[in-house]
Amino acid sequence: MFFHAMLFWEYLKNYAKTRLTYRADFWIEVLSDLAFQAMNLIVILIAFQHTPTLGGWTESEVVFVYGFFMVPFGIFSCFFNLWNFSDRYIVKGEMDRILTRPAYNLVQIMLENMDPPSLFGSLVGLVIMAITSAQMGMTYGFLDILVLILLVAGAVLIYFGIYTALTAIAFYSDSPTGILPLMYNIQNYGRYPVNIYNKVMRFILTWLIPFAFVGVYPAAFFLERSQTDDIRMAFLTPVVGLVFAAIGLAVWNFGVKRYRGAGS
Amino acid sequence: MPAIDVKDLRKEFRVQKNREGLTGAFKDLFKREYTEVAAVKDISFTIPEGEICGYIGENGAGKSTTIKMLTGILVPTSGQLKVNGYVPYQEREKFVREIGVVFGQRSQLWWDIGVIESFQLLRKVYRVPEDQYRKRLNELVERLQLGDLLTRPVRKLSLGQRMRCELVASLLHNPSILFLDEPTIGLDIVVKTEIRDFLKMLNREHGTTILLTTHDLQDIEALCSRVIMLDDGRIIYDGGLEELKEKWSKGREIRFQFTSRPKLEELVPLTRDFPDVQWTSEDELTASMWLPHHINVSDALSRVVGAKEIRDIKIIETNTDEIVREIYKSGSAEARKHGQASGENGGSPAGQKETVPNA
Repeated sequence: MFFHAMLFWEYLKNYAKTRLTYRADFWIEVLSDLAFQAMNLIVILIAFQHTPTLGGWTESEVVFVYGFFMVPFGIFSCFFNLWNFSDRYIVKGEMDRILTRPAYNLVQIMLENMDPPSLFGSLVGLVIMAITSAQMGMTYGFLDILVLILLVAGAVLIYFGIYTALTAIAFYSDSPTGILPLMYNIQNYGRYPVNIYNKVMRFILTWLIPFAFVGVYPAAFFLERSQTDDIRMAFLTPVVGLVFAAIGLAVWNFGVKRYRGAGS
Repeated sequence: MPAIDVKDLRKEFRVQKNREGLTGAFKDLFKREYTEVAAVKDISFTIPEGEICGYIGENGAGKSTTIKMLTGILVPTSGQLKVNGYVPYQEREKFVREIGVVFGQRSQLWWDIGVIESFQLLRKVYRVPEDQYRKRLNELVERLQLGDLLTRPVRKLSLGQRMRCELVASLLHNPSILFLDEPTIGLDIVVKTEIRDFLKMLNREHGTTILLTTHDLQDIEALCSRVIMLDDGRIIYDGGLEELKEKWSKGREIRFQFTSRPKLEELVPLTRDFPDVQWTSEDELTASMWLPHHINVSDALSRVVGAKEIRDIKIIETNTDEIVREIYKSGSAEARKHGQASGENGGSPAGQKETVPNA
């Protein structure tokens, strides 16, 4: 664990060295990321021009949920930038090189593709949370900060588990699948209050593809919405995170055993 | 303990069968058919510590698959496998700390940053202490003359420079076994020689066991005391390079340049009492005599020297390329019985020329 944390630092240094030569690139990436998030936020704001509440949630609450959603998503995007995994590591065979180095293969791949600009999204998310909290007159104690860290960690693990398992499909199937973009769209449902969806959708987002746990459930803890059982769900976040991360790793590790290399 | 110990190693790949035509593609969509293709078929060999072993074979013979199993990249279908006392695919992360791997066609260095930065990162990945790393790096840099290349980004290096850097990268942690997959591919003769000399030095001074695959038989001749030859997933030869040559090259060619145009009808009777000797006319003034090993050069030569005026004589040994080509063609390294169909056999370069057997 310590070893991999140190590797993170080393890879980060190399990332910085590479990126310093292309400075403009870096800022363009940060800006485009943020513009994308801003668009989503504007959709929410426009929706509330037409209705005072959404499924019993006020504008500030929904924006707060969105702010929370951005925090784990930014961290996840920073470390999990494997959208071209199949192409680069399986088809081109770079997995060979990874497997001949003495560090856990998934960690190596994650660090090689690290994308620190995504962390700006997390930062903006925190700012949004702070602003909406002030609007609603919420206060935070020391314990709340600890819980926030715990819930964010849980949410990151959920993303990690789901996308690790899906990325590992590349080990089983030669052809790239369209399932990743699909999942990317589904995850966006997690940032709106789940009670606005029908029962089937709610069930799916809670237990099957638990994206409700990366936004609305944990955020509800801070909003202290007593009329729902969302708070109990909030504390399930780390548990669901661990379960899905374990599943993701298992699928991955099994996939690595099936890796067949490329070319000659 | 041998460095590499392989017993009945086998690797099968499942390959999807694609049926023909649109209807076939449609059928494939619902029910796929697979065939098992064995890339490596129950091979066994042992390589002792400190040996340089060449692993050769045609494209698709299973060389790379074997190397990938030995380095822990692929999990074998069946068979036993021990490298450095480890089962590679089971204890991979521990095992790879003691081996070095160079894939000639793939880089392990970061493209955009200075070579030295890649080395620094590898030092951390392999957990090499700073002082050992310095010592090792200095030695390698000096041997391979990399001095001023170290700060340049990899994308600005020539292939030869890059390959030398790859070698350093794979040796920073002082591995006891080095796997090289086509290390000299695409390099010019100067760099090739440099790399060969370096590998020899490495083996001599550090006792590093080296297993290399190559298509360049000069690599093998310069480096290897032992060759393993693979064909269609099976080992067809395992032994010294000299024995391989002796076994397969059945003779040598003596090329005469005469002062006047030679006639085969005149030359053939000269060596009448050596039934295995063959004559070939080359051009205006030259003719070649093919001589099996059991006939002394002096005996055969004396017959010609006495009867004809000769301007020049050249003795041509069969080279390894030809031998190996013959073996690939026949698919077996077991030398055929002597004296049979000698024109087509390994060693005789007279195969495609006008040949008059002396009988």
